Amino acid sequence: MERSEQRDALARLLGPAEAELGCDECFAELDRYVELEAAGADADAAVPGLRAHLEGCPACREEHESLLALVRDEQE
Amino acid sequence: MAIVAPEAARVASVDVDPEAQGSAAVAATPLDPESRRWLDELRSAGETRDAAVARLHALLLRAARFEVSRRRATLPHLRGDDFDDLAVQAADDALISVLARLDDFRGASRFTTWVYKFALLEAAVKLRRRAWQGREIPLEPESWSLLASESTAPSAEAEQNELLAAVQDGIATVLTPHQRQVLVALTLNGVPIDVLAERLGSTRGALYKALHDARRKLRGHLAAAGFETTILEED
Repeated sequence: MERSEQRDALARLLGPAEAELGCDECFAELDRYVELEAAGADADAAVPGLRAHLEGCPACREEHESLLALVRDEQE
Repeated sequence: MAIVAPEAARVASVDVDPEAQGSAAVAATPLDPESRRWLDELRSAGETRDAAVARLHALLLRAARFEVSRRRATLPHLRGDDFDDLAVQAADDALISVLARLDDFRGASRFTTWVYKFALLEAAVKLRRRAWQGREIPLEPESWSLLASESTAPSAEAEQNELLAAVQDGIATVLTPHQRQVLVALTLNGVPIDVLAERLGSTRGALYKALHDARRKLRGHLAAAGFETTILEED
């Protein structure tokens, strides 16, 4: 395994170092977070712990990416 | 490291709990006119409500199709009709979730953004489960060899290899069997969390809590052994 692949595996194993939301709380806050992002506001300050959760949870990360893309698609 | 808020109970058809809507930290804010109109019409009766429900379903179907379109490469064996059936099922399930939770909408976003996330969630979960339908779920740490470095390089790589060895030791010694299974399946074997939840009769929230606890134990094990994980943040 390449060194970079090892690091990726380690990062997945250990997850985010900082405090994070759980999946349920992430879902509860996701619409507000995404609208703040789409508006160029500081979403991370408004919803602490959500960004860290997205780093650690691939499923929530995919859904965040989709909602942001959908909201931006509507803005165009 | 800590999960910030407590895990909520699950009632939805999928594993993230839309009941958590009610625990959102933001107080109710004045609704924008369009969101207000959505709520008024969905709470009315007769033809007005029927028309609003139909418009809502169309909105949810648009979001579900958006998600299916983004992820269809993960299911190359499915036909176009299968994808649209999946999107319609996701929109149907999301409609039930949204109508049951109208009181949870606090106006923290536009109503349309709020409902989109239900459709995206339903579609994403269905796609992940379909992609793993009939496949065995690897739960055992059989892929340890994948983590091993093929070279015996000096300094930085050696340090990383030592860290890897300590991680493997931690997984073997400090985790419960359940934590070990969840960690290995999700982070090493690439099993989607919704698929694992379905196979284990659990929920996304509960499995992520187990994953989080496992990661915390591993980090504690590494710290006790004198390792720093800043290597992961370095180039």
